Amino acid sequence: MRRFAVAVIAAAAAIVLLAFSGALFGHSPWSLLSIVASGSVGSRFALASTLLKSVPLLLTGLSVAIAFRAGVWNIGGEGQFIVGGLAALVASRFGIVASLAAAMLAGAAWASIASAMRLWRNAPEVLTTILLNFTAIHLLGWSVNGPLREHAGQYPQTDLAHVALPEIGGVHFGIVIALAASVFAWWLLYRTAAGLRLRATGLNPNAARWAGIRVGAQLARAMAISGAAAGLAGGIELLGVTHRLFERFAAGYGYSGIAVALLAQLHPLATIASSLFFGALVTGAGELQRAAGISAGVATFGQAVVILTLIVFEHVRADR
Amino acid sequence: MIHLSHITKTLGATRAVDDVSLDVRNGEIVALAGENGAGKTTLMRIAAGEIDADGGSVNREGRAELVHQHFLLVDALSIAENLALTHRGFRFTTRRIIEREASAIIESTGIELRDGSRLVAELSVGERSKLELIKAIARKPSTLILDEPTSVLTPNETTELFRVMRRIAAEGAAVVFISHKLPEVLEVADRIVVMRGGRVIAESAARDTNVRDLANAMVGRITEQPSDRATAGRITAIVGVAGNGQAELAAKLRDEERDAGHIPEDRTRDGIVAEMTIAENLALKAKRWNAREAARHAERMIALYSIRASGPLQRAGDLSGGNQQKVILARELDRKPKRIVAAEPTRGLDIEATRFVHEQLRSAAVEGASILLITSDLDEAFALADTIQVIYRGRLSDPLTPSEAATRVASLMAGVA
Repeated sequence: MRRFAVAVIAAAAAIVLLAFSGALFGHSPWSLLSIVASGSVGSRFALASTLLKSVPLLLTGLSVAIAFRAGVWNIGGEGQFIVGGLAALVASRFGIVASLAAAMLAGAAWASIASAMRLWRNAPEVLTTILLNFTAIHLLGWSVNGPLREHAGQYPQTDLAHVALPEIGGVHFGIVIALAASVFAWWLLYRTAAGLRLRATGLNPNAARWAGIRVGAQLARAMAISGAAAGLAGGIELLGVTHRLFERFAAGYGYSGIAVALLAQLHPLATIASSLFFGALVTGAGELQRAAGISAGVATFGQAVVILTLIVFEHVRADR
Repeated sequence: MIHLSHITKTLGATRAVDDVSLDVRNGEIVALAGENGAGKTTLMRIAAGEIDADGGSVNREGRAELVHQHFLLVDALSIAENLALTHRGFRFTTRRIIEREASAIIESTGIELRDGSRLVAELSVGERSKLELIKAIARKPSTLILDEPTSVLTPNETTELFRVMRRIAAEGAAVVFISHKLPEVLEVADRIVVMRGGRVIAESAARDTNVRDLANAMVGRITEQPSDRATAGRITAIVGVAGNGQAELAAKLRDEERDAGHIPEDRTRDGIVAEMTIAENLALKAKRWNAREAARHAERMIALYSIRASGPLQRAGDLSGGNQQKVILARELDRKPKRIVAAEPTRGLDIEATRFVHEQLRSAAVEGASILLITSDLDEAFALADTIQVIYRGRLSDPLTPSEAATRVASLMAGVA
């Protein structure tokens, strides 16, 4: 209950600070809030955009939640998202299922590079996953300028994927997949022995080792599942929203997943609500840019406030 | 000079020091020998004025300095800065002044420690203990107390330490040397006092005693035969002074014998996941996990192992040490493993919990499990084991029967046999 209250306070703090910082630029807080509200949930169209933004956030949020629960600091969601999109595009000629499966495999494989380096050379995954993000970004840049460049050859972007996700009322089918993924993640973590071992490893790797759990295997498994979720996010974004790849394809979804997961207190089902909140924030911020001339970058500011608020509460708790 | 008369001190539930009187005269080196937990350090902390006794009186002439077993140094500061911390009041200074003063201090103690600008973090363990010694000696104490100073020293460093101790004594200070290494004790001390269970058991001049007598005094009561030994299974005890490879042995067995039940030495660090419930902790080794079944299982275990808990969903970290240990026992023993490795299974437990753990190990043995008991508690080893092996510097002695062990275990533990 306390954890829920902290999350609500953090979200509220983000909104309030956002509104009042707008006041610095001569806008009334109330008008800003109403712009954000109408731009994110005020119309059918706004609601659909919010849901579209929430889908990748939900999946990258789950990716982070699973990894962090297991004590694996996967900061590489961005890179896994990108390679997921690349694999989905290449495999799209074989249909939707194959395309999304390829996205998950690619994300898992990309993340597993970091766990391999951790297990064999004890390289901290915080660093290696971030470095793999840069590698993936350049891989994407090279691909869209080189081998995967559109046949028209006009822009640094790929051709359209061979398939697209079906739509229901302006929202692609990926939302169903993402919701199913969060139920699956919850079931995995809290209803299976494998999940118990993952959580025990995250909370106390020493005790896990003494209880006969293979800690290295848990780390590799958590990283692979986490990477698969981020890769799936990339695949769904490709087949559902962008339909082609370009350099800014990932748009920070991988990093935003960290804020989503932290606000959800790393709980897979709470991640649904958290991703909706951030999805609304991003969509509302876009409306702010159009209507009030405030940079859409304020959405990132909102994420930062949420994380900082959570950290402050975490420390207050630790101090007592 | 210190004069202690009828000192008593109770720590928690144990009488750490029980009516001890001791005089240490100026110019004399007295060794205080005994097993872990015999009360040596507590008595000397009282002598140095670090803690107060519950009863009895302490008379000190001049200053007493106690050099601790663990280091009280600031790793991020240099040698000179660490010395300045203890030897200067607050005033403005420069690094150069501090380093010049430090080298004067070091020189005055006659201990070799070069380059005072080096960071403590970069020093070897031996150099750190030299720095601790310099800090103490530089204050010109009339009584210098050293708590297990040689445990981290190389033989050469030990020789150097003894030379310094003899010189300090010759200059008129009283020196107390706490150790359980008997050859060293005999080499450096004028007089040897043996403590066991908070009391002084033996006292004699160094020239009138030998390792065997001292070892027997230290260990005590080992001729007693355990009465109700398990018969069907075998219990082998590995005994030794802490830090002789017991932890490494337990960790090696943990990784090699994955089907065995393992009871780790450090139960809060290695035994339980504090944030998880009792039910979850009990299920860590299970093949399947079902919250409802796990709760029912936990309820049974709570009853069977008389774990004092509010229920299966209580956080394991909120339990007392003894009850945490019972959770670990329930997890490791309830599967009836053929082999059990228990490291210090009763450390820090009260008498009732200790008795319970011993009963569980015995009945596991009766049911046919082979048990390896790694312990530094000799009473425990003799009460439970069919076979005793001594571990010293990572090597195991030949297996001994309890009656053989009764005569040999002390010297094997001290590394003199």
